[in-house]
Amino acid sequence: MAEVLFFLAAIGVVGGAIGVVVLRNPFYTVLALVVHLLSLAALFLTLNAEFIAAAQVVVYAGAVMVLYVFVVAYVGGGEAAVGSGQASELRVLAVLFAGALFVCLCIATLGSGLQAIGTQGAEVGPGYGTPQQIGDLLLNRFLLPFELASYLLLLAAVGAVVLASRRRGVGEGAEEPGISVAQLLRPRGTGTMAEAVSGLPAAQATGDRDEREAREGGEERDANDAEDRPRVPPGSPERDGS
Amino acid sequence: MNGAAQGASVDWAALSPLLALAGGALVVLMVGLFPGRGVRDRVVPGLALLTLAVTAGLLVWQYDTSTDLLEGALRVDGLTVTLSFVFVVAGMATVVMTWRHLDPVESPGPELYTLLLSSIGGMVVLVAAQDLVTLFLGFELLSIPLYVLCAIQLRRRGSLESGLKYLVVGSVGSATLVYGFALIYGAAGTTGFAGIAEAISGDLSSDVLLLAGLALAIVGFAFKASVAPFHQWTPDVYEGAPTPITAFMATATKAAALGVLLRFLDVALLPAAEAWAPAVAVLAAVTIVVGNVGALGQSSLKRLLAWSGVAQAGYLLAGVVVGTSLGVQATVFYLAVYLLMNMAAFAVIAARERETNLGDSVDALAGLGTSRPWLAWPMTIAMLALAGFPLTAGFIGKFKLIEASVASGYTWVGLMIVIGSMISLAYYLKVIAAMWMREAPAGAAAVAATGPRPALAGASTEAQITAPTRHTRRGTGELTVMAVLFGAATLVVGIVPQPLLDFAAKAGEAFPGLF
Repeated sequence: MAEVLFFLAAIGVVGGAIGVVVLRNPFYTVLALVVHLLSLAALFLTLNAEFIAAAQVVVYAGAVMVLYVFVVAYVGGGEAAVGSGQASELRVLAVLFAGALFVCLCIATLGSGLQAIGTQGAEVGPGYGTPQQIGDLLLNRFLLPFELASYLLLLAAVGAVVLASRRRGVGEGAEEPGISVAQLLRPRGTGTMAEAVSGLPAAQATGDRDEREAREGGEERDANDAEDRPRVPPGSPERDGS
Repeated sequence: MNGAAQGASVDWAALSPLLALAGGALVVLMVGLFPGRGVRDRVVPGLALLTLAVTAGLLVWQYDTSTDLLEGALRVDGLTVTLSFVFVVAGMATVVMTWRHLDPVESPGPELYTLLLSSIGGMVVLVAAQDLVTLFLGFELLSIPLYVLCAIQLRRRGSLESGLKYLVVGSVGSATLVYGFALIYGAAGTTGFAGIAEAISGDLSSDVLLLAGLALAIVGFAFKASVAPFHQWTPDVYEGAPTPITAFMATATKAAALGVLLRFLDVALLPAAEAWAPAVAVLAAVTIVVGNVGALGQSSLKRLLAWSGVAQAGYLLAGVVVGTSLGVQATVFYLAVYLLMNMAAFAVIAARERETNLGDSVDALAGLGTSRPWLAWPMTIAMLALAGFPLTAGFIGKFKLIEASVASGYTWVGLMIVIGSMISLAYYLKVIAAMWMREAPAGAAAVAATGPRPALAGASTEAQITAPTRHTRRGTGELTVMAVLFGAATLVVGIVPQPLLDFAAKAGEAFPGLF
């Protein structure tokens, strides 16, 4: 029974992964990924890791994949065919190397891993795979990897924001004041957004942004720029405190 | 487990350099939110430098520590401490180079330093890791900030291309690495280095699963260390990335990749040495040839240094192959020396990028000997040292590497180093000749910054905004000082190598299993 489940799930895992790479339509790709992740959850079940299997289904196959589907539905992106490279000799080389790697891995796994198929697998103690034990491992033996992983996620988010900021143009956002307690303590007339919008008399225009604004006069800027930020009249109070 | 679970015991003192780096990165990120250009241009780089200085201080404090941390996840010992010094010095130099280098219109400010500090933190974790899980997380913590840093000049197509290429190739490397780890874990049944070594020394050393895992893991590291034939990304990424980031990648990333190879191969897989040592020796020889031949035809200095970095990775592998504490010492010594030589060269390249509109072409250095001797001398010393000229640090470094390979029966690898150095003279001397024997081309003095600012690469035309040309000529004073300092250090180490050799010997002592 366990062997049958293993092979069914393994075929699902490999088939799903191949589907992710091969299918051209992004939506089908995401669905193939769902198949892949669900089959992985089944593999976890055969390893007595019920909690991990449940987490896999709920978090990955459920929540994360819903996000993927949303993104695909929003962005679309079906029109540009991915992976239609023109370097054919490179493609031949790639297939060659992948084949060599495949043979190497086959030797490794067939030579050792598959011998264990007929056996009962490793002995596991009572309480193996329970949330309590996983929590214990995460906070004791794998404390540092656990903390590192969370730090890594934070960094990935910072990096994503850095790269995404190019949509608006870095230079535009760069002069924007950030979040600051000092803004609350500012005396009246020294440059809050509200004052800029309601148009208090100009104090001075020294910032670079303001120079540019002055040069451009009241010219229209593009719509999404104006949405992001209230318009600042020429010669408005300096806002960045430089 | 009863109700009152005990937490893991933490040796905060030994962990403190890492905590300082992580905390400093977060402080920089938060302070960067304050408004005003003064904060962004002065306070944030200053804080980044302060963080690195504090880390260096903590490393001095922990200089003699030799202990396992956090249930064997990390090991703070001579190798960790010496290589961490290399990372910290590389980070400081990078901060100084970045300070006025990147136009604020082209790149975000504070996040850059956060990513840089985090990447250094990842390197420290990587060389300290003695568990496969920690090692992989350190590897990613090093890599992911670097992918973003390469692409941080958001308005330059080359920079974006460099970031994307590095992301794709780096991810392939990471995937290979983690696949190899999975196979090693499957064979050995544990992720700790000590446990793996114990399992191998039994009957596992010819197990196919282990050998396949070992091969995949070495390939994964080879991608990061740009060892041929996994080096193809290096010239493109080095050329496209902003020069300070290139300098950081060339020095610190190389040190981290070689450092982790030292610990991984010479601790966890030492009992299987007869399986991996010949393979790695062949990789080293191939890398030396490919790197030196590839560098011959280059006219871009950054590409030239990238190819030369490939060749140097081959020299450095010789110290890994031999599996002796002399080899560890030679590798760490050469990594430290490599930092000095490369930082001097990159400081000059960055200075010329600001002064001329020729970018990083060799032509930008033409006539430098008469017009800017304070830049020309450090560059000359750096090039001679990279080629391994006597009286420079590079000579001592190569000498130690050859000595280590000959002492362990790898004389042919030592010979490859000598042959590679002879080939390398052709392109290093070309740079020196350009500085001292050619006239400066007309118009080279034009300031690059007066040209039009590049449009937002890859964005739609509507989104492009003509940025203000606030830009005045950027000074190069700090770069000149940096180049002179690193150039002088290269000379001093070449003449009085003993202090740095003792420092590197500290790393060699960290491996009790070696002789």
